[in-house]
Amino acid sequence: MEAKSDIAWCPGCGNFAIRDVLEKLLPELPVPANRIVFTSGIGQAAKMPHYLKVNYFNGLHGRSLPLAVGIKLARPDLTVIAYSGDGCMYGEGGNHFIHTIRRQLDITILVSDNQVYALTKGQSSPTTDPGAINSLSPGGNRNLPFNPVALAIAMGAPFVARGFAGDKEHLTELIRQAILFRGTALVDILQPCVSFNKVNTYQWYRQRVVKLAKPATDRSAALQTAERWGEQIPIGVIYQDDAAECRAGAEIFRRGATAEEVACQIDMKCVMMR
Amino acid sequence: MEMNVIIAGEAGQGAFSVEMELTETLSRLNYHFFATKNYMSRIRGGHNYHIVRIADHPVHALSGGIWDMVVALDGETERRHRPDLREGGIYLSREMTAAVAETAKEAFGTVAASNSVLVGIILAVIGVSAEKSAEAAEPGRAEYVRKGFEFAAKWKLTAAVPVSAAAGVHRKFDGNQALALGAVLGGCQFVAGYPMTPATSILDYFVTLAQGLPLHFEQAEDEIAAINMVLGASYAGLRAMAATAGGGFALMQEAVSLAGMTETPVVIAVAQRPGPATGLPTRTEQADLAFVLNAGHGEFPRIIFAPGSIGEMIALSRKSFALADRYQIPVFILTDQYFADSVQIVEEEIPLQVDSRQYPEFDGTYLRYRLTDEGISPLTFPGLTAALVKLDSDEHDEEGKITEDRRMRVRMVDKRRGKRALFEKEAVMPTFHGDPGAGMVVLCWGSTKLIVQEAAERLTAQGTPVGVLHFGQVYPLTREMIAPFGLEGKKRICVENNAGGQFSRLLKSELDLGVDRLVLKYDGESFTVDELTRTLKGLLA
Repeated sequence: MEAKSDIAWCPGCGNFAIRDVLEKLLPELPVPANRIVFTSGIGQAAKMPHYLKVNYFNGLHGRSLPLAVGIKLARPDLTVIAYSGDGCMYGEGGNHFIHTIRRQLDITILVSDNQVYALTKGQSSPTTDPGAINSLSPGGNRNLPFNPVALAIAMGAPFVARGFAGDKEHLTELIRQAILFRGTALVDILQPCVSFNKVNTYQWYRQRVVKLAKPATDRSAALQTAERWGEQIPIGVIYQDDAAECRAGAEIFRRGATAEEVACQIDMKCVMMR
Repeated sequence: MEMNVIIAGEAGQGAFSVEMELTETLSRLNYHFFATKNYMSRIRGGHNYHIVRIADHPVHALSGGIWDMVVALDGETERRHRPDLREGGIYLSREMTAAVAETAKEAFGTVAASNSVLVGIILAVIGVSAEKSAEAAEPGRAEYVRKGFEFAAKWKLTAAVPVSAAAGVHRKFDGNQALALGAVLGGCQFVAGYPMTPATSILDYFVTLAQGLPLHFEQAEDEIAAINMVLGASYAGLRAMAATAGGGFALMQEAVSLAGMTETPVVIAVAQRPGPATGLPTRTEQADLAFVLNAGHGEFPRIIFAPGSIGEMIALSRKSFALADRYQIPVFILTDQYFADSVQIVEEEIPLQVDSRQYPEFDGTYLRYRLTDEGISPLTFPGLTAALVKLDSDEHDEEGKITEDRRMRVRMVDKRRGKRALFEKEAVMPTFHGDPGAGMVVLCWGSTKLIVQEAAERLTAQGTPVGVLHFGQVYPLTREMIAPFGLEGKKRICVENNAGGQFSRLLKSELDLGVDRLVLKYDGESFTVDELTRTLKGLLA
């Protein structure tokens, strides 16, 4: 395992807690490390897979999800987890976030949501609260916040959760359930940024988070929970639909075609074979 | 003998259907033919035309010029194409095709049957018997085709331009089908894409093949997603391809750089159309060479192919996947609307065995970016053994972890760039056509190949020997590729379907080879054999 000094995060960063959770949880999963693949984008959170004992493709800013889609479609036997921050997943990769949910694949999406762009030193992110003062919005952020949880529920994601890096035990269970859930699962993780977000601190979140007893199975009820933000911020599994459809990837890995099969297909003799 | 027929009308009037049905039937009747299309970016209306060149010898290029037969489905055809009808040529006026449609509707209850009736008329003109034509007709359309023979008899067109069927065993492809087939033969099992003319039919044919073969197509939300899905699939273990047009490729650029940095094998097909921006969406141009050559930030090696015939397209498309894997680089296939939309037959044997990826096994000490003596890091895929496969878009160490170590940076840059010297050794040689002793040589690349070759043949037959050197591999270019052809002592003319002479500039920068004259065309249409023959003749005078 890495010495903490090798890790590129600031002392006290919420990502350390999430890493602790993953480091403990992954070996407990009924899937060997060599069959777990992380994809990630760019930002401090996106460095997460470097600090775990897993396969990874650390790609470009915003693009962790299409990488994950390609991997899952090509290799349904792999457990695919996309990991990045709020700027990467919801800003640069916002369109991929919407459309990945539509694909109904068995992919887990974990997001370190610190409500700020940290690696670029403190600009507003899609989840920054209105009015927050940041380096490129000195007069206060004027954009409405992106609500990933509500959007995911509205798009039909069958497992949607919000966790808090300040409660490792609770977060461990959320991520475990998300990975084991068969279908697209989102865990938006409230992750305090000690360097650039002086508002949404550990203390700020601790005063607000309330644990949900059980997930809603009704979408409109779940959406109401997802809308709650401010004095009380619900954490836990917000929506879960165990009956939701889950599309299998293509079972084609290491299955080559023969020359006869190709001839048959190009000569249109067996176009409707499958 | 040959017969050049043009079928013209508004989009949605059936000219495209006539072309498709005619070429399908000609193929069954063992005719040599070449067909291409010229269409507007709209679904109905406007003016589109489809050209079919039917011959008793192999034809692989747009001849241009004078028509033996014009089929008018709209009023515009009279003005646009009748002036190019040869003396004594056949003109099926709008009134005549309207009569065909009327009869088809009455006799068969559907106006769509008139497409088959028109096919029957054209087959009658070239002297095929009604019986043979009916046998070769599309299922359920034999009677429609026979009706065409009645019209031909009434209008005294039977065997007016006789052409004999002389093709042997063959298959029929358009350029994009050849590209997709070559990919599948190269072991490509995964394509993700977003539709864009003129690349969409690559996706179409891949999907057609996927109905019976172990292949997967995913329609992406945009081109950025498409190529990232492709890179994900390649990383996971499947040979994979992205296919798009220039505008879509502009969106893919950052991921080309990602492929370069992570050394993820990928093949990218770029079907060119005139730009900039939306340009002429359904027309042709060869103006994305410089773009593809320079696409992606940073420095990393690549190979670019630009095949000029169906056979070459299948072979180089296949080869792209082996090279992408061997050197862990992006390999590009450049094509264009003219070649993409041109349908022709291939008599040469197409080897149909399917290549496959290697899946080497390593233990837990595996390093994805191991520095080796041969200059290439061993490639394997996740989940096969205890080996963990770690890719990083940052500069990385041998394991695949972020590094900012300057010495490691230099070693990794040198490793990536060093691969060029390795694949230069197996560069695809350009092909020379014509008299090796000719004092003039035409240099060309990509889809112009067979047009230029036929023009050169005509000039040679007229007493002016001209050689043609066609580059199927346009990058990298090496001295060894041109050494056998004695280009220094010849007058060199470069023919390109663009305004800037992009390939001639590449010849200069890569090989210090200048050209004496440039022949350029950038009005959205391809060269034709007639036109190029005249232009080259003028340059020789």
